[in-house]
Amino acid sequence: MLAKRIQPMVFQARRMYVELMFQVMGRALQAVSEVDNTVKEESRVLPEGFLFEMMVMPDGPSMVVEHTGLGRFRYHGNSAPRPVDLSIQFKHIAHAFLVLSFQEKTSVAFANDRMLVDGDISYAVRMTRVLNRLESFILPKLIAERAVKEYPQNLHLPEKLVSAARIYLKVATNFVETVRA
Amino acid sequence: MTNKYYEFFCPVKVIAGKAALEHIPYELAGLAAKRPMIITDKGVRAAGLLDPVVAACEESGLEIVSIYDDVPPDSSTSVVRDIAGVYRSEKCDSIIAIGGGSAIDTGKAVNILVSEGGDDIAKYSGAGILKHPLKPFFVVPTTAGTGSEVTAVAVITDEAKGVKLPFTSSFLLPNAAVIDPRMTLTLPPHITAATAMDALTHATEAFTCMAKNPLSDAYATAAVKKVSNALLAVMDNPKDSDGRLELAQASTMAGIAFSNSMVGLVHSLGHATGAVCHLPHGLCMSLYLPYVLEFNLESIREPLGELLLYLEGPEVYATTPASRRAEASISAIRKLRDQLYKRCQLPRTLKETGKVEESQLDHIAEVALDDGSIMFNPREVSLEDARAILRRAWA
Repeated sequence: MLAKRIQPMVFQARRMYVELMFQVMGRALQAVSEVDNTVKEESRVLPEGFLFEMMVMPDGPSMVVEHTGLGRFRYHGNSAPRPVDLSIQFKHIAHAFLVLSFQEKTSVAFANDRMLVDGDISYAVRMTRVLNRLESFILPKLIAERAVKEYPQNLHLPEKLVSAARIYLKVATNFVETVRA
Repeated sequence: MTNKYYEFFCPVKVIAGKAALEHIPYELAGLAAKRPMIITDKGVRAAGLLDPVVAACEESGLEIVSIYDDVPPDSSTSVVRDIAGVYRSEKCDSIIAIGGGSAIDTGKAVNILVSEGGDDIAKYSGAGILKHPLKPFFVVPTTAGTGSEVTAVAVITDEAKGVKLPFTSSFLLPNAAVIDPRMTLTLPPHITAATAMDALTHATEAFTCMAKNPLSDAYATAAVKKVSNALLAVMDNPKDSDGRLELAQASTMAGIAFSNSMVGLVHSLGHATGAVCHLPHGLCMSLYLPYVLEFNLESIREPLGELLLYLEGPEVYATTPASRRAEASISAIRKLRDQLYKRCQLPRTLKETGKVEESQLDHIAEVALDDGSIMFNPREVSLEDARAILRRAWA
């Protein structure tokens, strides 16, 4: 009985968590593309103006970033200015929660058919590598190991700490700017 | 409770064995189809493989209304449009695709156009675009390797844009796959070997990659066992129709396995090598399989060790210590490749193909890294990893 009563609150909390994580990820993608050369190299191949979206089907939380050229991303919030070029879609908010709460790796979620790719699959592979790189930077190693297929062996603590600090600072600044605007 | 989850889907009716072709009229009648069109290629027709199909239908009073036999090895949007035009003008009501991967993919694409309407197949490219079942569609494979008769995918080249268009929908799956040993009896030895190694790779990757699941595992292990038992016997006696049927069934079973659990790095490298050097797909699979298994070894030790039972049989499995079974599986695959080299010079290294330059390896590695199947490989693959595997596969 109690469980039934609190269920709507649990669903609401889960939805808010996914929305918040998408906001953090979008901003962090923009930040990591300004901080890390590997991400820049990986993203440079994407066409200029390329719009990438992650969303929950059918019309749940979402985040959109644009490749503005030279491997840099700009976060667009939860809506795209024009039709997106690549969309990674979670079939249900429960699946998005599993991935964004690091209970299921992104690669496992793909393998488990939790997500669909709409767009060029080679760009999806590239964006997955960018997301993995981002998660390796901003998450503590123990949690990152649950999020990515393989934690990069050449990512050492000093580089990780410095990059993570710069990414978090940029994310926080972006949040503040958004609130002010 | 674990987060383990999987999906498995295969609604294709498999009609397999002696005189399987003679079931086509009955099965078509069951779908109210009376005016079938055959889609095939010149090689299939020249090999006389259409004759038993046409005879089987005519004997039952079913007229084959039209035969299109000019499907090229790399089918295109204009070919699909032309065939759809013939289908409409002849008032056909069903399709029988007879051939290898290209004829089958063309059949799937034509079925989209004649069922959904229009002339522009590119409009239907992508995943999940189709929302309705298509016209009755049968597939008669004439190679034993691709597994296309049970996959929900087709790839067609858009010559105008110079890109390959993928089509993915469960509605692309045929109503029936007709596996008759007569259709593969005349396959030349090197194609028999390469296509069987393609099937073995499908099964091995399905069993060892990230999306493996209990149902696809069952199909994968059965396919490995059939290839291991029948391939060399068929190479020694190409007219062995029982062996041919075993290989054809293995190909279908491996197709069911990998279409439900995907493939990994062997396919990423194979697709890239096909695109850069135009090597046949089956040959690429045979080439890369042991090198990729070695690369993935520590991530797949358990399932790969289990495969030894199906590769070498219960005696070898029982006498091999559990800790050495994964390596023994790789050795068994190497041994099989050596035997095939001895019988038909199926290349074991990139150098032996004579069609790849060492200077192309870096490009192959770069292309492989963007291939979709790399997502399902159990180990993360960096550019340097891909280069290292290619260097090992070179000579």
